[in-house]
Amino acid sequence: MTAAQPEPAPACPVHDYTPYELKPLGGWTAFYDELRQEAPVVRNEFGRGYFIPTHHEDILAVLQDPETFSSEALVAYEPDPSYKWIPAMIGGEEHRQWRRQLGPYFSPREIEKVDARVRARARGLIEELAGRGTCDLMTDFALKFPTAVVLEVVGLPEDDLPFLMALEEDINHAIGDPGDVIRRKVTAIDAVKRYLDGKIAKRRAEPADDLITKSLDMQIDGRPVTDDELLNWWQFLVQAGLDSVAGMLGYFFHHLATHPADRRRIVDQPETIPAAMEEMMRAFSFIVTGRKVTRDTEIAGCPVAAGSMVQLALKMSGRDDTFYDHASTVDFDRGTSNHLAFGAGPHRCLGSHLARRELRVALEEWHKVIPDYRLGEGEPITEFGRSSGVNTLPLAWDV
Amino acid sequence: MKVSIDLDKCCGHARCNAVDSELFQLDDIGYALHADIDIPPGAEDKARQAVGECPERAISLD
Repeated sequence: MTAAQPEPAPACPVHDYTPYELKPLGGWTAFYDELRQEAPVVRNEFGRGYFIPTHHEDILAVLQDPETFSSEALVAYEPDPSYKWIPAMIGGEEHRQWRRQLGPYFSPREIEKVDARVRARARGLIEELAGRGTCDLMTDFALKFPTAVVLEVVGLPEDDLPFLMALEEDINHAIGDPGDVIRRKVTAIDAVKRYLDGKIAKRRAEPADDLITKSLDMQIDGRPVTDDELLNWWQFLVQAGLDSVAGMLGYFFHHLATHPADRRRIVDQPETIPAAMEEMMRAFSFIVTGRKVTRDTEIAGCPVAAGSMVQLALKMSGRDDTFYDHASTVDFDRGTSNHLAFGAGPHRCLGSHLARRELRVALEEWHKVIPDYRLGEGEPITEFGRSSGVNTLPLAWDV
Repeated sequence: MKVSIDLDKCCGHARCNAVDSELFQLDDIGYALHADIDIPPGAEDKARQAVGECPERAISLD
């Protein structure tokens, strides 16, 4: 007699694939589309196994119920993480206090104030590239631009950009044996924290007009935040600030490079950019988050036991054709931005307003200088099943 | 026409504010400022649009 795990409900098909596999661009999207056709919830046995809701309604329901679906673990195949991203992996009243205090620095009003600096960053990078006629959008622009903005907002020196980008590579893009990937990720997270630790004493001695200084005065439950909490928050900020905007830019520019009519529209009518952006976020959102189940429950009729992990691939929501007509088509006239690219519920991305501004500025400034471009020669463009964008995006244009 | 915003459901996406920043004002952290909003004549379409735009479904027509 085998000591069997309980069989998943028959309505929940079981797969066994690794999210670390690199597929050609579009490969993971196609795979997720297939999973959606199979059932409202599927299961992947990778790691300790996890459930994957495949429709918008169920993904939204999970995100809106943080007590049942806790963010104490955010990566479906890392159910007992050794790191603690603040405030993402905190819940309840404590989480509300963090968001109340951090919120003013990331509000739409505040982001409006940094517009000029964000624009100057973008212009600087684009002007450097313009005469070259080719670039790798990822390494030459998409990975540098958001990182530089975050460094400025947080209060870290520009010279540290390459160092932080190398560590970020390990946190989000490590390839290889899963155990090795996790080890590299944890090592890099610790390295970022040690680097940031050096800044605490400096800022206490010499306060600056940056987020590091402002965070020092924060309070939780009436007591000052600890150095460890500050490090966990800043490490998470550096990580969150780098990859998501970069990844989104990769997908934006790939679409625009391969759809000349859409690109022409943005060039001729730049006022279309906000709507175009929202539509591309809906169609290409690549963020994959997760939750840990705190009590026996069900998702779309599929029983899910306490302790289970749930994976939320936000693209599943955006491409759900029971929620969006012609979901797999990018349509700049769709006229809606109610997608879940920034999540939903209390953990809705704190950086969403900054991210939207960076994306808009990048599209506006790039197309003023380089309006016509195409895919260039280079390595095959691939993507992970993890929460990561494309690895490379060669572009070429006439100079 | 009146619109209600469930402030417990509001998670600060600010999509309503993007439809009309005067009608749908935000507090200092970017969440809905008012739970009850009178929609002036002529602005009904904007109000309906905002209802659909909220990812949390926090906005409803009264």
